[in-house]
Amino acid sequence: MVQINLPENSQVKKGKYFKDKTGSTNLRKVNVYRWDPSTGENPRIDTYEVDMDNCPSKVLDILNKIKNEIDPTVAYRRSCAHGVCGSCAMNMGGKNGLACTTSHSEIDGDIDIYPLPHLKVKRDLIGDLDGLYKQYQSIEPWLKNNTKSKTAEIFQSKEDRAKLDGAYECIMCACCSTSCPSYWWNGDKYLGPAVLLQAYRWIIDSRDDERKARLKKVADELKLYRCHTILNCTSACPKGLNPAKAIAEIKKMLATANV
Amino acid sequence: MENKNPLSPHIQIYKWHISSLVSISHRITGIINIIAITLVCIWASFLILGDTNYSFINLFLNSFLGKFIAIGLAWSFSFQILSEIRHLIMDMGYGFELQTTRITGLVVIFGSVLLTILTYLIGKNFI
Repeated sequence: MVQINLPENSQVKKGKYFKDKTGSTNLRKVNVYRWDPSTGENPRIDTYEVDMDNCPSKVLDILNKIKNEIDPTVAYRRSCAHGVCGSCAMNMGGKNGLACTTSHSEIDGDIDIYPLPHLKVKRDLIGDLDGLYKQYQSIEPWLKNNTKSKTAEIFQSKEDRAKLDGAYECIMCACCSTSCPSYWWNGDKYLGPAVLLQAYRWIIDSRDDERKARLKKVADELKLYRCHTILNCTSACPKGLNPAKAIAEIKKMLATANV
Repeated sequence: MENKNPLSPHIQIYKWHISSLVSISHRITGIINIIAITLVCIWASFLILGDTNYSFINLFLNSFLGKFIAIGLAWSFSFQILSEIRHLIMDMGYGFELQTTRITGLVVIFGSVLLTILTYLIGKNFI
Protein backbone atom coordinates (compact mmCIF):
# COMPACT_ATOMS: atom_id res chain seq x y z
CA MET A 1 0.00 0.00 0.00
CA VAL A 2 1.28 3.46 -0.86
CA GLN A 3 2.06 5.22 2.40
CA ILE A 4 3.58 8.64 1.79
CA ASN A 5 3.85 9.81 5.41
CA LEU A 6 5.96 8.13 8.04
CA PRO A 7 4.12 6.45 10.93
CA GLU A 8 3.83 8.35 14.23
CA ASN A 9 6.76 6.58 15.91
CA SER A 10 9.05 7.22 12.92
CA GLN A 11 8.67 11.01 12.63
CA VAL A 12 12.13 12.50 12.77
CA LYS A 13 12.75 15.12 15.48
CA LYS A 14 15.52 17.65 15.84
CA GLY A 15 18.39 16.31 17.89
CA LYS A 16 21.59 17.52 19.50
CA TYR A 17 24.06 19.96 18.02
CA PHE A 18 27.76 19.18 18.38
CA LYS A 19 29.77 22.38 18.01
CA ASP A 20 33.27 22.20 16.60
CA LYS A 21 36.02 22.10 19.24
CA THR A 22 39.08 22.11 17.00
CA GLY A 23 38.80 25.76 15.98
CA SER A 24 39.10 24.84 12.32
CA THR A 25 37.93 27.30 9.66
CA ASN A 26 37.02 24.59 7.16
CA LEU A 27 33.88 23.16 8.71
CA ARG A 28 30.98 21.20 7.27
CA LYS A 29 27.70 20.39 8.93
CA VAL A 30 26.85 16.71 8.93
CA ASN A 31 23.27 15.68 9.80
CA VAL A 32 23.03 12.09 10.98
CA TYR A 33 19.86 10.07 11.57
CA ARG A 34 19.89 8.68 15.11
CA TRP A 35 17.62 6.21 16.85
CA ASP A 36 18.32 4.50 20.13
CA PRO A 37 16.21 1.38 20.73
CA SER A 38 16.67 1.59 24.50
CA THR A 39 14.93 4.95 25.02
CA GLY A 40 11.62 4.47 23.22
CA GLU A 41 11.90 8.00 21.80
CA ASN A 42 11.37 9.00 18.19
CA PRO A 43 14.32 9.10 15.79
CA ARG A 44 16.20 12.40 15.69
CA ILE A 45 18.72 14.22 13.53
CA ASP A 46 22.00 15.06 15.27
CA THR A 47 24.17 17.73 13.68
CA TYR A 48 27.94 17.59 13.84
CA GLU A 49 30.41 20.27 12.80
CA VAL A 50 33.28 18.39 11.22
CA ASP A 51 36.76 19.75 10.57
CA MET A 52 37.31 19.00 6.88
CA ASP A 53 41.00 19.94 6.90
CA ASN A 54 41.81 16.71 8.69
CA CYS A 55 39.33 14.40 7.03
CA PRO A 56 39.95 12.03 4.10
CA SER A 57 37.72 12.11 1.03
CA LYS A 58 34.86 9.67 1.63
CA VAL A 59 31.64 9.89 3.61
CA LEU A 60 32.73 6.87 5.66
CA ASP A 61 35.79 8.85 6.74
CA ILE A 62 33.48 11.53 8.10
CA LEU A 63 31.50 8.94 10.06
CA ASN A 64 34.68 7.39 11.43
CA LYS A 65 35.89 10.83 12.41
CA ILE A 66 32.61 11.58 14.21
CA LYS A 67 32.70 8.22 15.99
CA ASN A 68 36.36 8.48 16.96
CA GLU A 69 36.60 12.14 17.84
CA ILE A 70 33.16 13.62 18.54
CA ASP A 71 30.46 11.12 19.49
CA PRO A 72 31.32 7.44 20.04
CA THR A 73 27.64 6.44 20.29
CA VAL A 74 26.97 6.65 16.53
CA ALA A 75 26.25 3.17 15.15
CA TYR A 76 26.73 2.13 11.53
CA ARG A 77 27.86 -0.97 9.65
CA ARG A 78 31.23 -0.94 7.94
CA SER A 79 33.89 -3.44 7.13
CA CYS A 80 36.11 -3.47 4.05
CA ALA A 81 36.14 0.29 3.33
CA HIS A 82 36.75 -0.13 -0.40
CA GLY A 83 33.41 -1.02 -1.96
CA VAL A 84 33.61 -4.81 -1.85
CA CYS A 85 31.62 -5.96 1.18
CA GLY A 86 28.53 -3.74 0.86
CA SER A 87 28.18 -3.19 4.63
CA CYS A 88 28.20 0.60 4.66
CA ALA A 89 25.25 1.06 2.28
CA MET A 90 23.27 4.13 3.38
CA ASN A 91 21.47 7.19 2.07
CA MET A 92 23.77 10.19 1.63
CA GLY A 93 22.64 13.50 0.19
CA GLY A 94 19.33 11.87 -0.81
CA LYS A 95 20.90 9.05 -2.77
CA ASN A 96 21.77 5.51 -1.81
CA GLY A 97 25.37 4.38 -2.04
CA LEU A 98 28.30 2.95 -0.18
CA ALA A 99 29.74 5.41 2.35
CA CYS A 100 33.23 4.10 1.58
CA THR A 101 33.07 4.89 -2.15
CA THR A 102 31.00 8.11 -2.06
CA SER A 103 33.10 11.28 -1.92
CA HIS A 104 31.73 13.98 0.34
CA SER A 105 32.75 16.54 -2.27
CA GLU A 106 29.94 15.13 -4.49
CA ILE A 107 27.37 16.36 -1.98
CA ASP A 108 26.40 20.04 -2.01
CA GLY A 109 25.66 21.91 1.20
CA ASP A 110 25.15 20.09 4.47
CA ILE A 111 25.74 16.35 4.36
CA ASP A 112 22.57 14.44 5.26
CA ILE A 113 23.11 10.82 6.24
CA TYR A 114 20.16 8.46 6.68
CA PRO A 115 19.83 4.69 6.85
CA LEU A 116 18.70 2.88 3.69
CA PRO A 117 15.12 4.05 2.97
CA HIS A 118 11.94 2.27 4.09
CA LEU A 119 13.53 -0.29 6.37
CA LYS A 120 12.84 -1.05 10.00
CA VAL A 121 15.69 0.67 11.83
CA LYS A 122 17.69 -1.42 14.29
CA ARG A 123 19.77 1.45 15.54
CA ASP A 124 21.01 4.75 14.04
CA LEU A 125 22.13 4.00 10.47
CA ILE A 126 21.53 0.25 10.66
CA GLY A 127 18.46 -1.01 8.80
CA ASP A 128 16.88 -4.44 9.04
CA LEU A 129 17.48 -6.37 5.80
CA ASP A 130 15.95 -9.71 6.89
CA GLY A 131 13.09 -9.43 4.40
CA LEU A 132 15.49 -8.95 1.52
CA TYR A 133 17.64 -11.91 2.55
CA LYS A 134 14.54 -14.14 2.80
CA GLN A 135 13.56 -13.10 -0.74
CA TYR A 136 17.10 -13.81 -1.90
CA GLN A 137 16.83 -17.28 -0.42
CA SER A 138 13.49 -17.80 -2.19
CA ILE A 139 15.08 -17.59 -5.64
CA GLU A 140 17.48 -20.39 -4.69
CA PRO A 141 20.72 -18.66 -5.65
CA TRP A 142 22.85 -21.73 -6.28
CA LEU A 143 23.70 -23.87 -9.27
CA LYS A 144 21.21 -26.61 -10.05
CA ASN A 145 22.63 -29.15 -12.41
CA ASN A 146 21.23 -32.58 -13.16
CA THR A 147 24.47 -34.29 -14.18
CA LYS A 148 25.07 -37.45 -12.21
CA SER A 149 28.82 -37.11 -12.05
CA LYS A 150 30.02 -35.32 -8.98
CA THR A 151 33.61 -34.93 -10.14
CA ALA A 152 33.42 -33.89 -13.79
CA GLU A 153 33.88 -30.21 -14.59
CA ILE A 154 30.89 -28.43 -16.14
CA PHE A 155 32.20 -26.55 -19.16
CA GLN A 156 31.06 -23.08 -20.14
CA SER A 157 31.98 -21.26 -23.35
CA LYS A 158 33.54 -17.82 -23.20
CA GLU A 159 30.38 -16.35 -24.77
CA ASP A 160 28.14 -17.94 -22.16
CA ARG A 161 30.44 -16.78 -19.41
CA ALA A 162 30.32 -13.23 -20.79
CA LYS A 163 26.53 -13.22 -20.28
CA LEU A 164 27.12 -13.22 -16.52
CA ASP A 165 29.12 -9.99 -16.65
CA GLY A 166 27.13 -7.22 -15.03
CA ALA A 167 25.22 -9.71 -12.87
CA TYR A 168 27.77 -11.69 -10.87
CA GLU A 169 29.51 -8.55 -9.53
CA CYS A 170 26.54 -7.70 -7.30
CA ILE A 171 27.55 -7.48 -3.62
CA MET A 172 23.99 -7.48 -2.23
CA CYS A 173 24.41 -4.14 -0.49
CA ALA A 174 20.68 -3.40 -1.04
CA CYS A 175 21.27 0.14 -2.33
CA CYS A 176 19.09 -0.61 -5.37
CA SER A 177 16.19 -2.39 -3.70
CA THR A 178 15.83 0.24 -0.98
CA SER A 179 15.92 3.06 -3.56
CA CYS A 180 12.94 1.60 -5.44
CA PRO A 181 9.52 3.19 -4.73
CA SER A 182 7.82 -0.01 -5.93
CA TYR A 183 9.84 -1.93 -3.35
CA TRP A 184 8.89 0.62 -0.67
CA TRP A 185 5.17 0.13 -1.25
CA ASN A 186 5.21 -3.61 -2.06
CA GLY A 187 8.39 -4.87 -0.45
CA ASP A 188 6.60 -7.84 1.07
CA LYS A 189 5.69 -9.26 -2.34
CA TYR A 190 7.78 -7.56 -5.01
CA LEU A 191 11.25 -9.13 -5.10
CA GLY A 192 13.03 -5.86 -5.83
CA PRO A 193 15.95 -5.10 -8.16
CA ALA A 194 18.74 -6.77 -6.13
CA VAL A 195 17.01 -10.14 -5.90
CA LEU A 196 15.72 -9.99 -9.48
CA LEU A 197 19.21 -9.26 -10.77
CA GLN A 198 20.36 -12.40 -8.98
CA ALA A 199 17.38 -14.36 -10.32
CA TYR A 200 18.46 -13.23 -13.80
CA ARG A 201 22.06 -14.25 -13.06
CA TRP A 202 20.94 -17.86 -12.45
CA ILE A 203 18.41 -17.89 -15.30
CA ILE A 204 21.05 -17.03 -17.90
CA ASP A 205 23.78 -19.27 -16.50
CA SER A 206 24.39 -21.88 -19.20
CA ARG A 207 25.44 -24.46 -16.59
CA ASP A 208 22.10 -24.31 -14.81
CA ASP A 209 19.45 -26.88 -15.81
CA GLU A 210 16.48 -25.31 -14.02
CA ARG A 211 16.03 -22.30 -16.31
CA LYS A 212 12.35 -22.97 -17.04
CA ALA A 213 11.46 -23.57 -13.43
CA ARG A 214 13.32 -20.43 -12.37
CA LEU A 215 11.52 -18.31 -14.97
CA LYS A 216 8.16 -19.76 -14.00
CA LYS A 217 8.87 -18.91 -10.40
CA VAL A 218 9.49 -15.20 -10.95
CA ALA A 219 6.72 -14.84 -13.56
CA ASP A 220 4.30 -13.30 -11.14
CA GLU A 221 2.33 -10.06 -11.23
CA LEU A 222 3.75 -8.92 -7.90
CA LYS A 223 7.14 -10.60 -7.75
CA LEU A 224 8.34 -9.26 -11.12
CA TYR A 225 5.94 -6.91 -12.84
CA ARG A 226 5.92 -4.27 -10.10
CA CYS A 227 8.99 -2.87 -11.84
CA HIS A 228 7.84 0.28 -13.64
CA THR A 229 11.29 1.32 -14.89
CA ILE A 230 11.67 4.20 -12.45
CA LEU A 231 15.42 3.48 -12.70
CA ASN A 232 16.29 4.56 -9.15
CA CYS A 233 18.02 1.18 -8.87
CA THR A 234 20.41 1.66 -11.76
CA SER A 235 21.27 5.20 -10.72
CA ALA A 236 21.92 4.05 -7.13
CA CYS A 237 24.07 0.96 -7.82
CA PRO A 238 27.57 1.62 -6.42
CA LYS A 239 29.03 -1.09 -8.62
CA GLY A 240 27.64 0.44 -11.83
CA LEU A 241 25.39 -2.53 -12.57
CA ASN A 242 22.01 -2.31 -14.27
CA PRO A 243 19.26 -4.16 -12.38
CA ALA A 244 16.54 -2.41 -14.42
CA LYS A 245 17.92 -3.89 -17.63
CA ALA A 246 18.12 -7.36 -16.06
CA ILE A 247 14.48 -7.12 -15.02
CA ALA A 248 13.55 -5.99 -18.55
CA GLU A 249 15.44 -9.01 -19.95
CA ILE A 250 13.47 -11.38 -17.69
CA LYS A 251 10.22 -9.73 -18.81
CA LYS A 252 11.35 -10.08 -22.43
CA MET A 253 12.16 -13.78 -22.04
CA LEU A 254 8.70 -14.35 -20.61
CA ALA A 255 6.95 -12.21 -23.24
CA THR A 256 8.68 -13.89 -26.16
CA ALA A 257 7.84 -17.33 -24.69
CA ASN A 258 11.53 -18.04 -24.86
CA VAL A 259 11.12 -20.15 -21.74
CA MET B 1 5.89 -10.33 17.35
CA GLU B 2 5.24 -7.09 15.57
CA ASN B 3 8.32 -5.04 14.88
CA LYS B 4 7.78 -1.68 16.61
CA ASN B 5 11.03 -0.14 15.39
CA PRO B 6 10.70 3.06 13.38
CA LEU B 7 10.61 3.04 9.58
CA SER B 8 13.50 4.87 7.97
CA PRO B 9 12.53 7.92 5.86
CA HIS B 10 11.99 7.14 2.18
CA ILE B 11 10.18 9.39 -0.32
CA GLN B 12 10.71 12.36 2.06
CA ILE B 13 14.48 12.24 1.59
CA TYR B 14 15.12 10.48 -1.71
CA LYS B 15 16.49 12.70 -4.45
CA TRP B 16 14.47 13.01 -7.65
CA HIS B 17 16.08 12.51 -11.02
CA ILE B 18 14.78 12.68 -14.56
CA SER B 19 13.72 9.03 -14.88
CA SER B 20 11.79 8.97 -11.61
CA LEU B 21 10.09 12.28 -12.49
CA VAL B 22 9.06 11.00 -15.93
CA SER B 23 7.83 7.76 -14.37
CA ILE B 24 5.59 9.44 -11.77
CA SER B 25 4.33 11.98 -14.33
CA HIS B 26 3.50 9.09 -16.65
CA ARG B 27 1.20 7.66 -13.99
CA ILE B 28 -0.40 11.00 -13.11
CA THR B 29 -1.04 11.94 -16.75
CA GLY B 30 -2.42 8.43 -17.30
CA ILE B 31 -5.04 8.96 -14.60
CA ILE B 32 -5.83 12.47 -15.89
CA ASN B 33 -6.26 11.11 -19.41
CA ILE B 34 -8.69 8.40 -18.32
CA ILE B 35 -10.82 11.02 -16.53
CA ALA B 36 -10.56 13.33 -19.58
CA ILE B 37 -11.67 10.62 -22.01
CA THR B 38 -14.62 9.79 -19.76
CA LEU B 39 -15.64 13.46 -19.65
CA VAL B 40 -15.34 13.78 -23.45
CA CYS B 41 -17.60 10.71 -23.80
CA ILE B 42 -20.16 12.25 -21.45
CA TRP B 43 -19.90 15.51 -23.40
CA ALA B 44 -20.49 13.65 -26.67
CA SER B 45 -23.52 11.84 -25.30
CA PHE B 46 -24.96 15.17 -24.09
CA LEU B 47 -25.09 16.27 -27.75
CA ILE B 48 -27.90 13.77 -28.34
CA LEU B 49 -30.02 15.70 -25.85
CA GLY B 50 -30.00 18.91 -27.85
CA ASP B 51 -28.08 22.02 -28.76
CA THR B 52 -28.49 23.89 -25.46
CA ASN B 53 -26.08 21.43 -23.87
CA TYR B 54 -23.65 21.96 -26.72
CA SER B 55 -23.65 25.71 -26.37
CA PHE B 56 -23.19 25.44 -22.61
CA ILE B 57 -20.05 23.30 -22.99
CA ASN B 58 -18.89 25.50 -25.88
CA LEU B 59 -19.19 28.51 -23.59
CA PHE B 60 -17.29 26.72 -20.84
CA LEU B 61 -14.43 25.63 -23.11
CA ASN B 62 -14.04 29.20 -24.40
CA SER B 63 -13.69 30.58 -20.89
CA PHE B 64 -10.25 31.02 -19.34
CA LEU B 65 -10.62 27.91 -17.18
CA GLY B 66 -11.87 25.91 -20.17
CA LYS B 67 -8.91 26.95 -22.30
CA PHE B 68 -6.54 26.14 -19.46
CA ILE B 69 -8.03 22.67 -19.13
CA ALA B 70 -7.93 22.08 -22.91
CA ILE B 71 -4.27 23.08 -23.18
CA GLY B 72 -3.47 21.10 -20.05
CA LEU B 73 -5.03 18.02 -21.59
CA ALA B 74 -3.08 18.57 -24.81
CA TRP B 75 0.06 18.49 -22.69
CA SER B 76 -0.95 15.46 -20.66
CA PHE B 77 -1.80 13.47 -23.82
CA SER B 78 1.46 14.57 -25.49
CA PHE B 79 3.42 13.54 -22.43
CA GLN B 80 1.67 10.19 -22.17
CA ILE B 81 2.29 9.38 -25.84
CA LEU B 82 6.02 10.22 -25.75
CA SER B 83 6.56 8.52 -22.41
CA GLU B 84 4.73 5.42 -23.62
CA ILE B 85 7.02 5.24 -26.65
CA ARG B 86 9.97 5.47 -24.23
CA HIS B 87 8.51 2.61 -22.22
CA LEU B 88 7.94 0.51 -25.34
CA ILE B 89 11.59 0.94 -26.33
CA MET B 90 12.60 -0.08 -22.80
CA ASP B 91 10.31 -3.11 -22.97
CA MET B 92 12.32 -4.21 -26.00
CA GLY B 93 15.39 -4.04 -23.78
CA TYR B 94 16.99 -0.87 -25.13
CA GLY B 95 17.93 2.45 -23.57
CA PHE B 96 18.78 1.35 -20.05
CA GLU B 97 22.18 3.02 -19.84
CA LEU B 98 22.05 5.88 -17.33
CA GLN B 99 23.08 8.52 -19.85
CA THR B 100 20.52 7.28 -22.39
CA THR B 101 17.68 7.30 -19.84
CA ARG B 102 18.56 10.88 -18.98
CA ILE B 103 18.46 11.93 -22.62
CA THR B 104 15.22 10.09 -23.45
CA GLY B 105 13.68 11.53 -20.28
CA LEU B 106 14.56 15.05 -21.36
CA VAL B 107 13.23 14.33 -24.86
CA VAL B 108 9.90 13.31 -23.28
CA ILE B 109 9.71 16.44 -21.09
CA PHE B 110 10.65 18.99 -23.75
CA GLY B 111 8.94 17.05 -26.54
CA SER B 112 5.64 17.13 -24.66
CA VAL B 113 5.84 20.92 -24.36
CA LEU B 114 6.67 21.24 -28.07
CA LEU B 115 3.80 18.93 -29.04
CA THR B 116 1.43 20.97 -26.88
CA ILE B 117 2.47 24.21 -28.61
CA LEU B 118 2.10 22.48 -31.98
CA THR B 119 -1.36 21.20 -31.08
CA TYR B 120 -2.36 24.68 -29.93
CA LEU B 121 -1.11 26.34 -33.14
CA ILE B 122 -2.77 23.75 -35.38
CA GLY B 123 -6.02 24.09 -33.44
CA LYS B 124 -5.94 27.88 -33.58
CA ASN B 125 -4.97 28.32 -37.24
CA PHE B 126 -6.44 25.38 -39.12
CA ILE B 127 -9.52 24.19 -37.27
